[in-house]
Amino acid sequence: MSVETVESSAGPTPKRGVSILFGLTLLGLLVVLWLLLGLATSAFWTPNNISNLLRQGAMTAILAVGQTFVIITAGIDLSVGAVVGFTSVIVAWLLAAGVPLWLALVATLAIGVLIGVFHAFGIVRMGLPPFIITLATLTSLRGIGLLITNGSTISITNEAFTNFSRADFLGVPSLFWMVIVVAVPAYVFLHLSRFGRYLFAVGSNSEAARLSGVNVNRTIYLAYILSSTCAAFVGLLLASRIGIGNATQAEGWELQAIASSVIGGTSLFGAVGSVHGPLLGAFILATINNGANLLNVNSFWQRIITGLLIIVIVYFDQLRRRGSR
Amino acid sequence: MTGLQEVSHRHEGELEAAVPKGKPILELRGLQKNYGAVQALKPATITFLSGEIHAIVGENGAGKSTLIKLLTGVIPRTDGEVFWQGEPVLLASPNEAIARGINAVHQEVVLCPHLSVAANMFLGDEMNRRGVMRKRAMTDAAQGVLDDLGFNLPADATLGSLTIGQQQLVATARAAMRGTRFLIFDEPTAYLTRQESAQLFRLIRRLQSEGVTIVYISHRLEEVFELADRVSVLRDGTHVGTRAISETNEAELIALMINRTIEQIYHKEQFALGETIVETRGLSGPGFSDISLSVRAGEIVGLYGLIGAGRSEFALGLYGRHPLAAGAVYWQGRKVEIDNERKAMELGIALAPESRRDQGLCLNLPIGLNINLPVFRRLTRGLTINRAEEAANADRQIRDLQIKTPSRRVLASAMSGGNQQKIVIGRWLSHGAKLFIFDEPTVGVDVGTKAEIYRLFARLLEKGAGIILISSYLPEVYELADRLHVFRQGRLVASHDYRAASHEDVLAQAINA
Repeated sequence: MSVETVESSAGPTPKRGVSILFGLTLLGLLVVLWLLLGLATSAFWTPNNISNLLRQGAMTAILAVGQTFVIITAGIDLSVGAVVGFTSVIVAWLLAAGVPLWLALVATLAIGVLIGVFHAFGIVRMGLPPFIITLATLTSLRGIGLLITNGSTISITNEAFTNFSRADFLGVPSLFWMVIVVAVPAYVFLHLSRFGRYLFAVGSNSEAARLSGVNVNRTIYLAYILSSTCAAFVGLLLASRIGIGNATQAEGWELQAIASSVIGGTSLFGAVGSVHGPLLGAFILATINNGANLLNVNSFWQRIITGLLIIVIVYFDQLRRRGSR
Repeated sequence: MTGLQEVSHRHEGELEAAVPKGKPILELRGLQKNYGAVQALKPATITFLSGEIHAIVGENGAGKSTLIKLLTGVIPRTDGEVFWQGEPVLLASPNEAIARGINAVHQEVVLCPHLSVAANMFLGDEMNRRGVMRKRAMTDAAQGVLDDLGFNLPADATLGSLTIGQQQLVATARAAMRGTRFLIFDEPTAYLTRQESAQLFRLIRRLQSEGVTIVYISHRLEEVFELADRVSVLRDGTHVGTRAISETNEAELIALMINRTIEQIYHKEQFALGETIVETRGLSGPGFSDISLSVRAGEIVGLYGLIGAGRSEFALGLYGRHPLAAGAVYWQGRKVEIDNERKAMELGIALAPESRRDQGLCLNLPIGLNINLPVFRRLTRGLTINRAEEAANADRQIRDLQIKTPSRRVLASAMSGGNQQKIVIGRWLSHGAKLFIFDEPTVGVDVGTKAEIYRLFARLLEKGAGIILISSYLPEVYELADRLHVFRQGRLVASHDYRAASHEDVLAQAINA
């Protein structure tokens, strides 16, 4: 084990160390935002507002984690917002038709899986660029959802379902617990299992991965299925929270998810990313929106601030990467 | 430092003032470059004579690239002086170097593949009339230059539609067109076919006859002897000598480069041949047809031919990368269907592919991940990877193969060509393969690392493995292969036992009927 000691003293680019540093920087940014907002407005550090903030961030965070798997393979999933809206319709429709709750939940998640399968099929078998196939489902799924609801909404009367999003567990909103339910296995998958390594390898050089015996097609299926299933899961959470199924909900959430992922250090060129980064990115975005609301900042300004933040954070990340080379 | 400003205004005139042939045109006096504490180029004093072809040889990391970058103004020097036609110059920017007539043609063509040949030749220096590009005039002028140089190339073709070799010729023509007095070639033949190389050599000689001074950097010593008038050798950042080509030989140059003799490089050990590991019968697929050959334990089977002769295609076909059209594969006497790469791997076939960059490495990932890629399944315990075993396997290969890195966490892109090749090879050593396919394992690899790779072959053979060695470099397959197969246009056209045919015969068989 003499190798280990040499290494700890002499590594010029210990990648893991840098990644932890970047994570801490994001965490620092989040804490600074919270402290500043606490000073700026007395309404921020109230249990009600914090719960609200955690609920707001939770859904973007789950979407961002799924999105990150896809981006690491050097792909993109533009459909996640549409999948959220579509699956909210599906679960509401199934419940309205009298399907038992457990079956409605399982069936909705299964539809998420199928959407992912469809994306991967388009990419692997038909040779379509990820941008195109997911853009196509973005618009089609909204259309199918609108057909099902005939352009209106389906109300959800199942109280057990709608109460879930308002419930707390150990004083923390149940929606936030769902982030942990997704993030822990996601972390094990991406950082500790061989499938995570395969995602990075495919994103870096799919031909090299293929010639090294990695099942590239299966890896791509896995990434898009996980992304769509995360989106379907968020669709369930959203339906529970607003009590209706509506195909036009979650408009633009795919961009929120991509932004969270990128703020969290994911490279759109693939092969760079983590699970904790996008989570922090999602809550930074949620904090900015929440803070802007409390400070009565025009909601149009929120969009502009979010855009500027993406530029600033990614720019500093680029500087850091160049510096470490 | 006084003359610098006036020099920068005078370069137009200087271009015209030719230095008589054989007189110094560019002199380096104690030129050096440090990166922090690292001495990339120790004080070097080299004189380039007007109109000569001056080769520079050395292993990877010997300081060749640093020297090019200094001469082309890409990086600033740490100390020392450069005299251009007798006057001190700074070479502070690429523009200054180009304005003085110093140009470089790089190994990988750095032009725009989507533009036309003519547009590329005039890139950055377009012909205008009142701000409107004179496309027709440029195409005609470019065609004139190409025709004059004897290239059979259309100036209006898209650059990307040409072969790499033709693109290299366009890059050279571009440099020649711009009043270049001093042209540096950085391993120009690394990706060229033999015919393309010959065409490039004719062009280089023609430029020389027109008074252009040529600096030729190469790993291939036979090219140096074919082309150069004088040769300078670099080793570990030190200029260890300059020789007239007529007064030196390959053995001396290698000794200067690595302190080792030529016999020690082509390390050939004979092993008792064991059972047949793999046999192909009439194997056909995309790019190759009717290939029948076999590999036995303890044997190196060499596949020689020009690039595009079907050797790599055959290897990829055998490895299951492309579907086979006809024929059969027998693995240890048993007929097998290899319809994907994982099946080949499970049988015990390992492939170090032709292009490290495109097929071999995940460049922006750590060395450790690249090494472990085929064996993650074996390293998995339950749901997760055993991190200790993962680290141990990577570190073992790094140590055994002497991959020069401080840590397995360094990105593969930070490694030199030789070390990258070792990563690609190291990936398969813990996998327990029986048949190793090495496709051009020493392209862009320095002599020292070459010798290490050849010794590794012997280690694999000793353990009872068989090797298919694909190479466009004849001495390599000639000296190492127990049986040598010659490929031409997708077919196996001749087979020889160890050293049974002459170089000339093998070459003739590879080129034409």
